[in-house]
Amino acid sequence: MDINVRKRSQAQLIQLRGPLRMGPAVDSLRQTMEEALGNGDTRIVINLAEVPMIDSSGIGLLVRFLASTKQKGGSIKLVQPSKFAVQTLRLVGVLNLFEVYDDDDAAAESFS
Amino acid sequence: MADELIAGSANQEFSELLNLAMPATTESIATITGAISEIMVRLEIPENKRFEIDLAVQEALANAVRHGCNGDPTKTIRCRLNKDPQGRIVITVSDPGPGFKPEALADPHHPDNLYGDHGRGVYLIRQLMDEVQFEHGGTQIRMWKY
Repeated sequence: MDINVRKRSQAQLIQLRGPLRMGPAVDSLRQTMEEALGNGDTRIVINLAEVPMIDSSGIGLLVRFLASTKQKGGSIKLVQPSKFAVQTLRLVGVLNLFEVYDDDDAAAESFS
Repeated sequence: MADELIAGSANQEFSELLNLAMPATTESIATITGAISEIMVRLEIPENKRFEIDLAVQEALANAVRHGCNGDPTKTIRCRLNKDPQGRIVITVSDPGPGFKPEALADPHHPDNLYGDHGRGVYLIRQLMDEVQFEHGGTQIRMWKY
């Protein structure tokens, strides 16, 4: 899993590449998210366009940090989740917990 | 490693396509899911079904590593992939753990569980596969894709 983090507008944009599943991928994203929250960044955009698969560990991580950011006045917004990522998030009933955007800019600017 | 395993089991009876043991580590999961994906491609299984099988196997192996073996890499998990006489894909995953009662699992759709960070794996497997059985006190899962 490749993780690229950069500032976009008022949000931290996290670009992921590769399957998000139990093991190094979920561990790396957890560390990235903990660092962001530790730095006070609670407005998070996660681009999932190049994430072909999310397992239950990845979903658990996303919803846990969604709750954490919301408690601090922020949120996690998703960009371009792949077909199978959408299918999986919908199956477990969490897709509609997230705002989903077509591009990074729209997601970042939605925090304004 | 995966190719050797596939080739080594290709001539066995009952259309056994894969039969291998793995140490209970998260790294081993990718080896098995990768080997199964290769077989699915060779069998010309449609992409949608391949994805569903891949994720279901991922979840079954993750449960075996995490719950069946408590992440102890000295413990062994076995995974078998067969094609039954009706042409259905049958996958079994077994672990040496104490088992569990699948009927006791919480509903991940319940409002109290929506933001939980665990408890979705078995639910996902049941949604992704056409038939799922828990055997030997929950230490083995057998799942079918038609």
